[in-house]
Amino acid sequence: MATKGIDFAKLNLRDALDLAVLIEEEARDRYEELAEQLEVHHTPAAAVFFRKMVRVEEIHRSELEKRREQLFGKSPVMVSRAAIFDIEAPEYDVVRASMTPFEALEAAMKSEVKAHDFFAAVVPRVSDPEVKKLFEELRLEEVEHQQWLKVEMQKTPAVKDVPGDQSDGPNEQ
Amino acid sequence: MTTLSPNVFKSELKPIWCPGCGDYGVVQALYRALSAIGRPPHEVAFISGIGCSSRIPGYSTAYGFNTVHGRALPVAQGVKMANPDLLVLVAGGDGDGFSIGGGHVPHAIRRNMDLTYLVMDNQVYGLTKGQLSPTSPRGLETVTSVYGSFEQPINPLLTVLSAGAGFVAQGTPADMPGLATLVEEAIRYPGFAFINVQSPCVTYGEDDQQLRAHKTRMKSLDSVGHDPSNFMQALEKSTQYGTELYTGVFYRNPNPPKSYDVLVRERQETLKPAAVPRERMLDMFLQK
Repeated sequence: MATKGIDFAKLNLRDALDLAVLIEEEARDRYEELAEQLEVHHTPAAAVFFRKMVRVEEIHRSELEKRREQLFGKSPVMVSRAAIFDIEAPEYDVVRASMTPFEALEAAMKSEVKAHDFFAAVVPRVSDPEVKKLFEELRLEEVEHQQWLKVEMQKTPAVKDVPGDQSDGPNEQ
Repeated sequence: MTTLSPNVFKSELKPIWCPGCGDYGVVQALYRALSAIGRPPHEVAFISGIGCSSRIPGYSTAYGFNTVHGRALPVAQGVKMANPDLLVLVAGGDGDGFSIGGGHVPHAIRRNMDLTYLVMDNQVYGLTKGQLSPTSPRGLETVTSVYGSFEQPINPLLTVLSAGAGFVAQGTPADMPGLATLVEEAIRYPGFAFINVQSPCVTYGEDDQQLRAHKTRMKSLDSVGHDPSNFMQALEKSTQYGTELYTGVFYRNPNPPKSYDVLVRERQETLKPAAVPRERMLDMFLQK
């Protein structure tokens, strides 16, 4: 979890909204990548859950983007994806061939906790009261997402993959 | 300069690396670096050997050639000579680079063409299901060293430094933005540039080589006050390969010599006035 070249003390609301859009976009793209990995490696149930997360993150992203447009129109975006890494996106090493849906939920939960911790850590560094309010709102949304995941985890059998059982059929390419 | 999204370099082909493989982060770092460089895919070529990591050309929209085992460097040099304007990136694993293709490495370095060579070093032959590789640590138990390896591993950093590489760096996909910056720096270096990427094999690699372990072990060379223009310091730091996981630039020649492709262009210009005109070239072979 890292940011590069962002001075939170000087961050204005427009750039903060753009940053939030990029954080959701990174998470959406990563879930998509991980879903693809699992689909290729015959782990469909966990992949289905990651596909669901792709849709969830896209909803969050587009809501933030709409809000940004309402407030600031189509003015140029001054922050780039290169400025963030793994804020809400699950890490590359959370996936394994034959991982179970429960393990996929656990991975998503870790990401939501990570995103919450990010916003909690940057709020004190922000000077602009509107940005502070936005980040605080996003932090609380991460808590809601954790609640939703907890409910999903209660509904899902707490089955874990057997270590060492990495049987995987051949792939053609 | 036109801004290119990293996704411009991503092909439609879905990677088939094992879920959790380090190479996923490497390919993302490559897309990011190429986007920062700003040259479109048709001006870039990926040349690789054989192995898991050598699949990279297929996952990019740039030109690509997945060559034969250990022969990525000779083919890449040919590509660069045939079209010096191409940005040529070479990719492969530690086995491809330091075992099967090991003989090509010092010669590619001393020839000094403007290439960027990325070795995805996972210390094991992953594609063939976990045999000893040239960088496997001593004592490693694999299917070909059931009671532990007796062999001294090759140190890729020391090998390329001692052969005279002008740019030598090491990164890990555990720090993907840092790795993207290293790739960008290597591309911008005017000559042969080498990056050792500690890219863990999630299936056959050791636990202490996984991304999770990298996150706690990695230490940036900047943070220990390393001066990348100091060759002796670079040598000293590189000897700690296998014990310390340093990331960053070990060595960047502060006065890079002209690369081979530049020298060839200059010689072509020098010889041009005395050259036989194209329309008379056939005359040399025909008796009049």
